[in-house]
Amino acid sequence: MTAQAVLYQAPQAVSYRRTVRQVAIGVAAVVLLAWTCFPFVWILLTSLKSPGDILSVPPSFVFTPTIDNYAALVMGEQRGQYSSTRPDFPLFFVNSLIISVGAVVLSVVAGIPAAYALARFTFPAKNGLAFLLMSFRFVPFIAFVIPLYLLFQKFGLYNTHGGLILAYQLITLPFTIWMLRSFFQEIPLETQEAAMIDGCSWLGVLTRVILPLSMPGIAVTVILGFMFCWNAFNYPLMLAGRQTFPVTVGAIQFISYEQVLWGQMAAATIVAALPQLVLSLMVQKYIVRGLTMGAVK
Amino acid sequence: MSTTRTRRHWRRERLLPYLLLAPALVLLAGMVYPFLLGLYYSFTSYWLQYPNRFRFVWLDNYISLIEEPLFARALEFTLGFTLAAVVIQVGLGLAVALFLHARIPGRAAIRALMLLPLMIPPVITALMWKIMMGSTNAGILNYLLSFVGVDPVNWFGSTQGAIVSVLIIDTWGNLPFVSLILLGGLQALPTEPYEAARVDGAGPIDILRYVTLPLLSPFIVLVVLFRTMDSLRIFDVIYATTLGGPNDATTNLHIMAYQYSFQWYQMGKGMAQAIVLLLLVVIISYLLMRLWNRASESTA
Repeated sequence: MTAQAVLYQAPQAVSYRRTVRQVAIGVAAVVLLAWTCFPFVWILLTSLKSPGDILSVPPSFVFTPTIDNYAALVMGEQRGQYSSTRPDFPLFFVNSLIISVGAVVLSVVAGIPAAYALARFTFPAKNGLAFLLMSFRFVPFIAFVIPLYLLFQKFGLYNTHGGLILAYQLITLPFTIWMLRSFFQEIPLETQEAAMIDGCSWLGVLTRVILPLSMPGIAVTVILGFMFCWNAFNYPLMLAGRQTFPVTVGAIQFISYEQVLWGQMAAATIVAALPQLVLSLMVQKYIVRGLTMGAVK
Repeated sequence: MSTTRTRRHWRRERLLPYLLLAPALVLLAGMVYPFLLGLYYSFTSYWLQYPNRFRFVWLDNYISLIEEPLFARALEFTLGFTLAAVVIQVGLGLAVALFLHARIPGRAAIRALMLLPLMIPPVITALMWKIMMGSTNAGILNYLLSFVGVDPVNWFGSTQGAIVSVLIIDTWGNLPFVSLILLGGLQALPTEPYEAARVDGAGPIDILRYVTLPLLSPFIVLVVLFRTMDSLRIFDVIYATTLGGPNDATTNLHIMAYQYSFQWYQMGKGMAQAIVLLLLVVIISYLLMRLWNRASESTA
């Protein structure tokens, strides 16, 4: 549409055009929101339904809500008169917390000095090492999990929190080092040189300059690392047992040969997703950066 | 005196990066070692139930894989699924990014809500959709589709239904990733080319075709790279919904490797399958990375 054409248009045509445009934008926004949010709404509704309401045809939007599904989740397997197929969800939730926190702590403790070395020093193997860290992003998990399964069986790490924390280093360690390195590199060199002139050692620069200045970056890395661990499914599927399952593996236990416990599975997905929903709003500015390992800021 | 001090200081400084790296290197060795062990197993007849049959068989696992009829089907599904997923997700993601880039009321809220599917566990995403797809009669999705005249779909029971289901679920989880990266790219674009194009009298379609897309190309190639790598290896969603079925219609190379190793405990064959998948990911990623370098050079 050229400028001249607009000049010759009647005013009503312009306002009509604008209305059509606004309606189209409104419709698109509603479609986008429905596509994004409806699954959450529906799962929340399902989690509040009794078995009869869940299977009603057509699906019911109006029903008497019940917290039975959540109550059954909290009761778990050992507590109460429930059938033996019921997963012990409180235990799985605690397992997820233990493994995720453990994996992140280990990665950050090992990752801070490593990221500092990669950000500030030049040494022969530097580029090779950075590439090695990145290359873990390419490997299908099954290539790690087959040998890890065999090794874990042999050394008593199978079905233990410690073993899973070690396996999760595949998820968190390369990520932590790359993210921290990109945050450390953002701190101006002059600040560090000034600290060295004032008599700080390299270690002093790390503890007195880099760490305090990159606290927000470290916090973001910790939260994102925790979220990636919380999302992990395939490593614990093969390397954990009933005592160490996290929520992701726990949630599929509601599907058995005889039946699917839809209501409890819905409640379980809500509980498993909840920490992620809260945390992702906390770090929303950094999620893209985290998912691309610092490639997009 | 001062020379020895500087020399000692100098030597310490040369060792320092390795000292700093030591804890991470120990952990990294713990990751590389299992991988190399697995690589070795891929050349052996390792079968967990028959430990005494263990021997080095050179390329036998790889050859028998290629002769396996399911392998060709799984390879075809892996590549076909990746192509479909990447085209759909990048196409829709670009549309969503352009939409959000225009000044839409409530953009911040939409953007924040789009993070939710992105960050919940993929297996949980799969279970949520499994509940919505449900059985053919009671699922909410078929009920909603009936209003737009779509006959009830047998989501996980039919081959086409299963493939479409996995595509829908994967797209729901990953569309926000594509959209947010492309939106970030759009917001970082320089304004001068747009002003120049407007002065030249270009319409919105021309601007999109000749200004926006070329400038955005490094970002587009980047999301294609990330999405391709992850789609080639998709596992969680398929495992939680169809487990490769029905009739192996949604069995990709990753699921097939899982079946070899953890259903039949043929660790050697499973590992060979994993290595084939890794090679596929590496080759395709390498080609895309070369494209990315070229795209960023041409726009820089």
